[in-house]
Amino acid sequence: MTALDPFLFLGLPYLALTLLVVGSIWRFRTNRFSYSALSSQFLERRQLLWGSAPWHIGLFIVLVGHLIPLLAPGFWKALVSHPAMLLAIETIGVAAGMMALAGLLVLTARRVFSGPLQRITTVMDLVILGLLILQVALGLAVALNHRWGAQWSVGTLVPYLRGLFTLRPDMELVIALPPLVKLHVVGAFVIIALIPFSRLVHAFSLPVAYLWRPPQKVVWNNPRRWAVQPRSVRELEEGRRLFLRGVGATATAGLLMGVGVADKLVRFFSGPRMEHEEEIAMLRKKLERLEQTAEGRELELERKRKEFIHVAALAELNGSDGKYFIDYEMRPALAFKDGDGLPLLISAKCTHLGCTVAGRVDPQGRILCPCHISYFDIATGRPNPGSPAKAPLPHIGWALLDPSGAVIAQKAPGGPVEGEVTPDRLQGAQVYIAKRFAEEGRA
Amino acid sequence: MDVRAQTAMVFHLDKCIGCHTCSVACKNVWTDRPGAEYMWWNNVETKPGTGYPTLWEDQINYNGGWKVDEEGRLQLRCQSKSDAFVKLFYNPNQPGLDDYYEPWTYQYDDLFDPEQGDDQPTARPISQLTGKEMKIEAGPNWDDDLSGSPIYAENDPNLQVLSDEDRRMLFEVERLSMMYLPRICNHCANPSCVAACPSGAIYKRGEDGIVLINQEICRGWRNCIAACPYKKIYFNWVTGKSEKCILCYPRIETGQAPACFHSCVGRIRYMGVLLYDAEQVESAMQAPDSGLVDAQRAVLLDPSDPKVIEGARRSGISEAMLETARRSPVWKYVMEWKLALPLHPEFRTMPMLYYVPPLMPVMGRAGEGVYGHDLDELFGKIEEARLPMKYLAALFSAGNVELVEGVMRKLLAVRIAMRAKDLDDVSQARAARALRDADLTQAQAEAIYRLTSLCDEHARYVMPPVQREEAMSEPGCRPDACKGECGLGFTRPPERGR
Repeated sequence: MTALDPFLFLGLPYLALTLLVVGSIWRFRTNRFSYSALSSQFLERRQLLWGSAPWHIGLFIVLVGHLIPLLAPGFWKALVSHPAMLLAIETIGVAAGMMALAGLLVLTARRVFSGPLQRITTVMDLVILGLLILQVALGLAVALNHRWGAQWSVGTLVPYLRGLFTLRPDMELVIALPPLVKLHVVGAFVIIALIPFSRLVHAFSLPVAYLWRPPQKVVWNNPRRWAVQPRSVRELEEGRRLFLRGVGATATAGLLMGVGVADKLVRFFSGPRMEHEEEIAMLRKKLERLEQTAEGRELELERKRKEFIHVAALAELNGSDGKYFIDYEMRPALAFKDGDGLPLLISAKCTHLGCTVAGRVDPQGRILCPCHISYFDIATGRPNPGSPAKAPLPHIGWALLDPSGAVIAQKAPGGPVEGEVTPDRLQGAQVYIAKRFAEEGRA
Repeated sequence: MDVRAQTAMVFHLDKCIGCHTCSVACKNVWTDRPGAEYMWWNNVETKPGTGYPTLWEDQINYNGGWKVDEEGRLQLRCQSKSDAFVKLFYNPNQPGLDDYYEPWTYQYDDLFDPEQGDDQPTARPISQLTGKEMKIEAGPNWDDDLSGSPIYAENDPNLQVLSDEDRRMLFEVERLSMMYLPRICNHCANPSCVAACPSGAIYKRGEDGIVLINQEICRGWRNCIAACPYKKIYFNWVTGKSEKCILCYPRIETGQAPACFHSCVGRIRYMGVLLYDAEQVESAMQAPDSGLVDAQRAVLLDPSDPKVIEGARRSGISEAMLETARRSPVWKYVMEWKLALPLHPEFRTMPMLYYVPPLMPVMGRAGEGVYGHDLDELFGKIEEARLPMKYLAALFSAGNVELVEGVMRKLLAVRIAMRAKDLDDVSQARAARALRDADLTQAQAEAIYRLTSLCDEHARYVMPPVQREEAMSEPGCRPDACKGECGLGFTRPPERGR
């Protein structure tokens, strides 16, 4: 985390969204005339076709691909869980991105090289073109360098962006991501912030009302006429039909929602209705559950009070496939056999966001946190450079007890092995974790 | 019945001398601004010729106006509701700068402070787009008076209806003929530009039917430019908005004729109110080509008919407007005498600007390059007119030659009758026969003569009584706010995107 991160991933997004909303409304109210697509087709139309069309179509596809996971993450997750679908989505995304980039490059070239266009090109136009090129290029670089973004973003970027909108932003989710991804996120918010101050406002003018408005439009300036005959009969009928259809649809939706809400309210205030027997059964079940919880707590406490907690027999451990156990803090941990035949115990709770690290050791002697791809060396506990996790996984102290319960050897985290270790003494030895090491580790 | 009032126009082409005074008056009043230099809300074309923008009549290329689809419904040629959205990014039917011309001015300063030298100083042309020196290669009336030229006139789309023989005769050097066609926005009753505008910025003013673009709502999507078959909507490349003829509504609202009408040297222009039934417009425009003029006439309502008057009152049309409609010179030309025809009715926009086709090229047909002396044939025969009737029919009646011939017979009959009356060098019998053939009475012929030749300003312009006060009588409507609703009412200097 750098000093800039809180600004870039908390301040900037809110600044940009505020500017977008306030700026656009302000501009609309004070200078509505300036809302225009600012077409330059009149001055130059041959290259425009090869610039404007691929850019807008590519952009539309890419934006849809960004919006669906934001709006329906569950649906999206299910969609990309199928490998073929994931491949298809990524391919479409990259193709659309390349189309958009090609369009942007053509648009920029014609701005720069056409004489008449230079006359109407503002500095802001060039700034926007530059930013858009950068942003699309970054997006493509992310897609190509950090493959399967459609999948990994569901656990990182999607919750981050959703957090922004639900006012529970969690920048931890992004600051650990690769720099390309972070730049792409920052670029998006810079462009959003500039929308109200540039030609990009035309995106708000997408004339959807054209789909249902009557073909002819008549405006009466004189209110005396409105009273007599507001509009032609045909237009009026058409308008009335559309209005009724709209009202009908809204009313139906409202009614359904209202019924649902009312139903919930009634149930809430009237409380559950059940027979005495049912109530007794329910209370019993509740009691049972509470007892179970209390029992669990007791066991937990008892466990913690114990001097030693059993992990496994030394013979069960090996160097490549860890055995999971729960330590004194109730956190997951992994047990391996080290090269010297002694146990190696390491925490399995990722130091990044607390996922459980996988137990299989790779050829480099590392274990993987699957959530954000951090590799930890089991010998040192350290994550690989550039991984989201920064702190090493802590080792856990152990004690070896013989079947009679006597301590053969023990090792505090980071400390030396205490006790005499010979192969015959290790026969039938059991691996334990020791309370005092846990307390030492905490201290 | 939904009675509407429309400010309608008649241009009498026999009187047009092609002087472009109307164009210049309009330019000086409205389009002398950055981004509007190339706009000619009023222009005058030479026919046969290619017009402005080049070949605007060729709807195979431009896709303007309406068409009747297989189910008999009226559809825009340029777009359906859905593909209008695809065309926002790039409109294949929008004319570009090369279809108009690159506007220019001259380096006048060079005339005043040149270096001392042997040559006369000249003012070189500079582009108003780039400010750089340029070679002038096209202009708004580039083929002015160039009828018969192989690179301009021969490409006139209306000539396609003529046989090769007819074409060859039309362009034979000593028989060359031409006419002038002044054009402004037709302020159509069934405007395709309004129907094509995605933003809903273009509208027809209810009181007088003037078609305007609300500059505050226009987003520069340019679909109107493609949709208007007359190419009378222009794109302002500085402000990024569409602009069009506003029929000088600020002048109309103060009782003055529009600038192009007022300045017309040949006094060819007439303005008056027409009443029409808005409910019938759509069905009338679905008529087959040859019946379109009659269908359009059937939509127009007689302002003296008590039923119409009652309907007009119900629709909120003021008594003053009704009174104006009864005195309308446009009603006389279009309906009473049936002399004036709409330009290209086959575009099905129901234009509200009507043209009296020119009779003049008929004259001088008599001898081999020598005018005939046979008084009976003084004005020649319509069948042998220099401008073929077929050509005029392609312009003014969607190919219905009979209609144009009827108009020509009337125009000729009026001349013969007036000649017989004033000079008495044509026999009364010949005059009576001409009138009978043309289906005119002596009184009608004299009325046509008076309104054509002796009319003063008040007879030509019977202005609609739309007053500024009436247009803005809504309580709480500030004048500056209302101005924004009507065409070019800027309350600040318009800047591109700012």
